[in-house]
This record gives sequence, C-alpha cells and structure tokens, in this order.
Amino acid sequence: MRRLWLPIVATLCLAGCSDDPSWRTTDITEIMPPLDFALIDDDGEAVTAEAYRGKTTLVYFGYTQCPDVCPITLARLGSVINQLDEDVRDEVQVLFVSVDPGRDTPEVLKRYVGAFGPEFTGLTGEREDIDALTNRYRIAYEYEEPNEYGDYIVNHSSAIFAFDEEGHAQFLARDSHSPQDILGDLRTLISKS
Amino acid sequence: MNTTHALRAVRRTLLPALSLAALCAAVATAQAADIDVSDARLSILPGDTPGAGYFTLHNASDETISLVGAESPAFEAVEVHESMEHDGMMHMHELEAVEVEPGASIEFAPKGHHLMLMRRTQEVNVGDEVDVTLRFADDTTLPVTFDVVSPTAL
Ligand SMILES: [Cu+2]
Repeated sequence: MRRLWLPIVATLCLAGCSDDPSWRTTDITEIMPPLDFALIDDDGEAVTAEAYRGKTTLVYFGYTQCPDVCPITLARLGSVINQLDEDVRDEVQVLFVSVDPGRDTPEVLKRYVGAFGPEFTGLTGEREDIDALTNRYRIAYEYEEPNEYGDYIVNHSSAIFAFDEEGHAQFLARDSHSPQDILGDLRTLISKS
Repeated sequence: MNTTHALRAVRRTLLPALSLAALCAAVATAQAADIDVSDARLSILPGDTPGAGYFTLHNASDETISLVGAESPAFEAVEVHESMEHDGMMHMHELEAVEVEPGASIEFAPKGHHLMLMRRTQEVNVGDEVDVTLRFADDTTLPVTFDVVSPTAL
C-alpha cells in the first residue's frame, strides 16, 4: 500500500502545478501589469509592446556606459539562452531598455546589444516614455553628478522581468538569483506557451 | 622583504650611487616580487563604452598595501570602482583606496570591485593586450598586462 502512494502524489502534483508554476525566482503574475510601452528601437523606429508579442520576453533596464553590471548581466542572460534547446532559442527575446536616453541613441544601442546575440534588442526613447515604463514596473533609477569629462553614473534596478508571449508578467529575477534559477524558470515559461 | 622596507634600504644605502632610472628599476623589481597580480582581464564592448578591469591581487609582503589608482596609455582615465546591490538597485561608486592585508588576496570580479577604464585613446579590441599601471598609497607602482576579452567570455 505504502509504495503506491508516492507515485500518485507525484502525479497529482505534476498535474496540479503545471498551470501555476512555482518559480525559482519571484512570481509576479498577480502583481505586475502586462508589458506596455511606446519607445524607439535600435533601428530608430517607433515601436510599441505589441511588436514584441509572440515570444517569451525578458526585460532589463540599464545603460551602455555601465562597464560592469550591465554587460555581465546581459552576457549571463545570453549564456542562459544558449543553454536552451536550439529549437526553442528563437522563441525568446531580450529587451534592453536604456534609462540613459541622452547618451544611448539607437546607433549606440544597436552596436552594444549586438555583442550579446541576435535575441537582444535595445530600446530607448523620450524620458517620459521610459519613465512610464519604469513606473509601471515600480523600478527606480538615478543619475549621479557628472565628472570633469561630463561622464556620469546611473544607478539602476537589478531586476530582470519575464513575460509570456502574450505580454503577461510571469517572474522577476534579481541579482541574487543564479543563472541556473533563471534558466530553470525560462524553460518552465517556454514549455507553458 | 617588503616593498616599503626595500625602498627605504635602497634610498639610505645606495641613493647617492644610483641614477634615478636605476632606482626606479630597483623599486619595480622589489614590488613585482611582493605583489602578485594574476588573471588580469579587461572586459570591453564595441563602441566608446567604458571597459572593466578584473584581476586577483595577492599581497605577499608583510605590510598592508593600499591600491589608490591606476593609469593606462589606452584610456584617458582609470578609476577603482565597486558595484553593489542595495534595495534592488545596482550602485556603482569610486573607491579612494582598497587595502589588502599581508598574506591576503582581493578579487576584482564582475559585479564587485573593478577598474573602470574610460575614454579610449586608441582602438581596443578583443584579443589585444593593454598595459595598466596600478598605483599604491606609498607612491609605488606595478605594471600589469590585461588580456582584452568580451564580457560574454567572463
Ligand atoms: Cu564602475
């Protein structure tokens, strides 16, 4: 009798959990709104969030003059994507949203994101359009005083937001989450859709 | 034998007999033996974005050393920085000094301590080598060759 229980419980859990995955990172399905924005892409074209429906979408906010955190975060996301099976890799895209539109022109962004892989797109725009998006996901960024060259540091959120192919918020990864956790959740999200 | 004592000894006994160039050479030799920098990589992307310098520094001397700055002919400015997460925000700030105790090591690594190398004075591409001179509080210096890599290789 005892032996029979385990497989039954495991089966029930698999069935019951598939609609409501428990993420290794943070669940945001109930607390964050669907992806919505009006920005400029890295070809200089005006785009809205609808243009990015149909793929699992990761969104990260940063700036290209960031030497350490942004390149490392994007590089690790790129390596997570490369660990996905080849046939699902092009069902994933990463949107790198600049919080420094004064320096991050579409040309600058295109050259920058190109180093990380074909899944990456840079987005920039008017400050108020970028702020509409950062406010929507309750994230902050702040500029520091410029130095003698006019260079300035931008402190910004470490959050990576994941959306399903219809743009519904799914999970949020912080700097403290490992690439393996993000990879696991990304696989779960892709298999859902 | 540590750097400071070596330097003092050289000054006291040999200075009158040595040219400035020879003195500098003596200092550099003493220092290279006492401070060991390994795995020096310069992470760079296309365009005029700043690079990040990562390395491991071991203080084999018997005195605390203090890294206070760096220079490179390939960049207009180099700063010692630290990134850290605080309340979900990534912050980056310049450090005046990084102290390393005798026998201890410090790792300059992604999302932590790094050199920030700004405004290229020449083309810098993945696969190149870039010379960087580390500067310490006692005015001594240490030349280090960094391998230029893509952040995707880190
Ligand atoms: Cu920095």
